[in-house]
Amino acid sequence: MGRVILDNVVKRYRDVVAVDHVSLTVEEGEFVALVGPSGCGKTTTLNLIAGLLELSEGNIYIGERLVNDLDPKDRDIAMVFQNYALYPNKTVYKNLAFPLQMRKTPKDQIDQRVRETARLLSIEPLLERRPKELSGGQQQRVALGRALVRNPQVFLMDEPLSNLDAKLRVQMRAELKRFHQDINATIVYVTHDQLEAVTMADKMAVMSGGLLQQYDAPDIVYNQPVNTFVAGFVGSPAMNLLSATVEVDGDTTWLRNGNDWASALDAKRGAIAQSASTDAVIAGLRHNAIHLSPTETPGAIPVRIYTVEPTGDLTFVHGYLGDLLIVASVPPGTQMHPDDIVWATFDLDQMHLFDGVTQMALASEA
Amino acid sequence: MSAITGSQPTTEPPAPEERGPGLAGRIAALPGDIARHWSDYLYILPALGIMLVVIAYPIFYTVRLSFYSTPANLAMDDKIWIGLDNYRRILTSDSFRSVTRNTLEWTVFSTFFAYVIGLGAALVIQREFPGRSIVRGVLLIPWVISYVSAAYIWKWLYHSDYGLINDTLIRLNIVDQNINILDNIHRALPALIIANIWKEFPFAMIMLLAGLQGVPDQLHRAAKVDGAGTWARFWHITMPQLKSVSVVTILLLMLTNLNSFTLVWVMTGGGPAGSTDIWITQIYQLAFGRTRFGVASAYSVILFLIMMALGYFYVKALTRGDAEREGA
Amino acid sequence: MSSNYERTAGSRKRLDAWGIAGWVFLLLLLVFTVVPLAWMLSTALKTQLGALQFPPRWIPTNPTTENFRMLLDPNDDIGRRFLRYMLNSLWVSTATTVVGVLVAVPAAYAFSRFRFPGRNSLFYGVLLRNMFPAVIFLIPLFILMRNLRLVNSYGSLIITYLTFGLPLSIWLLKGFYDNIPVQLEQAARIDGASRFQAFIRIVMPLSAPGIVATAIYSFILAWNEYVYALTFITDDRKLTVPVGLQRFFSEYVANWPGLMAAAFLMSIPVVVMFLVLQKYFVRALTEGAIKQ
Repeated sequence: MGRVILDNVVKRYRDVVAVDHVSLTVEEGEFVALVGPSGCGKTTTLNLIAGLLELSEGNIYIGERLVNDLDPKDRDIAMVFQNYALYPNKTVYKNLAFPLQMRKTPKDQIDQRVRETARLLSIEPLLERRPKELSGGQQQRVALGRALVRNPQVFLMDEPLSNLDAKLRVQMRAELKRFHQDINATIVYVTHDQLEAVTMADKMAVMSGGLLQQYDAPDIVYNQPVNTFVAGFVGSPAMNLLSATVEVDGDTTWLRNGNDWASALDAKRGAIAQSASTDAVIAGLRHNAIHLSPTETPGAIPVRIYTVEPTGDLTFVHGYLGDLLIVASVPPGTQMHPDDIVWATFDLDQMHLFDGVTQMALASEA
Repeated sequence: MSAITGSQPTTEPPAPEERGPGLAGRIAALPGDIARHWSDYLYILPALGIMLVVIAYPIFYTVRLSFYSTPANLAMDDKIWIGLDNYRRILTSDSFRSVTRNTLEWTVFSTFFAYVIGLGAALVIQREFPGRSIVRGVLLIPWVISYVSAAYIWKWLYHSDYGLINDTLIRLNIVDQNINILDNIHRALPALIIANIWKEFPFAMIMLLAGLQGVPDQLHRAAKVDGAGTWARFWHITMPQLKSVSVVTILLLMLTNLNSFTLVWVMTGGGPAGSTDIWITQIYQLAFGRTRFGVASAYSVILFLIMMALGYFYVKALTRGDAEREGA
Repeated sequence: MSSNYERTAGSRKRLDAWGIAGWVFLLLLLVFTVVPLAWMLSTALKTQLGALQFPPRWIPTNPTTENFRMLLDPNDDIGRRFLRYMLNSLWVSTATTVVGVLVAVPAAYAFSRFRFPGRNSLFYGVLLRNMFPAVIFLIPLFILMRNLRLVNSYGSLIITYLTFGLPLSIWLLKGFYDNIPVQLEQAARIDGASRFQAFIRIVMPLSAPGIVATAIYSFILAWNEYVYALTFITDDRKLTVPVGLQRFFSEYVANWPGLMAAAFLMSIPVVVMFLVLQKYFVRALTEGAIKQ
């Protein structure tokens, strides 16, 4: 297993910059998820690591080697594709054997490796079948097997779970995580589903517009998003982002949005809010940082309920705070109905503050 | 192949050359791009080579020859430059007018009926019924056999003394005695057109059949739920979906018909009295019957220009299909 | 066609007017298609005298296979010539097909996969060949072949047939390659194959149906071609079947049964080939020529 280093990597198509000076290091044995909305450059980044695309600028190292000009076949990597890309005209056995054949491995060794891998993934009974005779989960496992069969330095995975149905996806997620732990593999994993990244990865790299937005452990990304993009992308339901202006009234700092709402900040947050480049800030509140109450309390802000979504362990309430649709969670069984007016208070301890102009997080740890 | 359907076509954005920056920037980037892709060209080189030798050279040569008077013995060194005389002679001749009229009748009627019959056939064949693939196969036979065979079969059918058509017409009391068909200046061209439709409608059928398979089932179900009858569904769902296939099919039929030679040549040779002479047979006659290569070349160039115009629409129809697909 | 809206619930209950009209139309169309073909076969089974009767009979009074025997008998003068024409056609068509596929496959693959500058213009430029009337090429190619002393050679026909077979072959094949997921090749390249190996070992086997369809298409085109053969070949021993048929006819002018038998025999290879493989062909058209 080896590590992967991206050093100021750029991919340009004529006038379009798909990947813009991305630098990151994937340590040996680490599971890193590249996440972002479609078109953010995550798949392009993966293909650059694989060597399926040519770099425009920058350097990529795999293990200790600079691989910029190496063919995919010489990079000692394996890849699992979204559609699995199993060779439809070959049996499972031959699919697994193909990477070894291409490396001119002796026949008996091929056979041994293929059977070993098949055993590891419990696909031994399927070896003589063709891909189209397999279920989605089985195909997934074969694709994984084909990557696993020759002990590559790095595994690259391009949305490997997105073609599975919801239940199977949860199961495969667990299997993948376990697989990672068992063989201590270095994995670079592309997904648009932030939940996959949060649940499986050691670190997640959030990308948008070809730029790397934040690269850190999932709980840090979740708890300390560096900007409004990351804040809105990671976590489900998405963080509520409320624009406001900072008003200082004597000792108290207020956040105010026109006539819709105003909220007093404590001293610490007041100072942070005042550090913004202008008086425009954005307050970020996750669903559990907004408390809803059927009765009015001092300082509470009226919210007109739009819809109520019970999910079992939590009930999500969508409602209008002024013109903005927000979402908050309440304990299950709470009686709230569409078009009711309820009263919201903000949990200041869980409030994120962002600069209204730069969209960057205001140093909450300061 | 369930594992790999619904794939993204490519990881690269679709054909960057179609968007790109300004023209100047693109031209500036061109040498580098070409250098970077040099090995790609090796794949198409053999194809391009063959096409160039047998296309570019002949076009050039034909255009050149059209300005010369050529000797009948084909000693090309003795040809004489006569400028636009060949063109003047052709465009002012009576035969050009009648040949053009024949060509238009031939092309328009053949294309129209081949398309309409092909469309009807495609719509019926699209239904599921026992023996469907056999019926489809049988209907395709006329398209597969050679024009020469078709020409002789129909010539025999039209035979004025022993032909099946004459027999049938008499049995149906349409005529009371044998008539001349291919020997009659009014009947020969329609008779050729019928034979041509017989030969060509399967092509329209197979193209449209392929096009019909792209019509999503859901649309028909949705329309049924909305209360649309068979005709309404055909008109509002099937036809719009077949539009681009239809354009390509009709254009290909027109080009085939403008180019057709064998059926006419074998069945009537352009006669009687030039009543079935079309551009191509006329050109062939001029070149290889009377060895007047210069005039024949000028004729070809005129035809070529007309084809180019049609070809422009053809490529436009094709590229639009591509754009729709990439946009989808 | 895996699913068909005609099968959805409710449509089976009654045959509407359109349904009936459709079947009537199909019946008429089958008559229109089959009668000339059946008449060819019926005539081929008649004696010369039997064919020259009016009113004509569908069932020959004295059916005979003499016409076929004559054409297929290498000891008969006519048979010897006919068989030679068939062999000539076979050779020209096969050579055209083999060379055509070898040239079209890499070109179609490149047009489908690579993004080199000028890709679109070159592709449509190749397709544009089909716009030009055969006659435009006939005159200069005839002179070219004459100068190259290729008149009366199979080479002249093979080269010419390639030019009109290639564009459609490339077009059909490109459609096939477009439908093979690029991830398969990427997977192969990561698994250790070079670009070329990925093409040969993964893409080629998958595009086999497309190649078969393309091959049939160019074979049929070459087998049936008439104008160039008529112009380039004058030596009777080198004629291909379509032109040979015509020569044959002009010498035995009233022998309609013999002619119909010959037309029937020359149609058998292409019709059989096409009917057996028509599903590939329809698929090629669906996937390649007409995009969903």
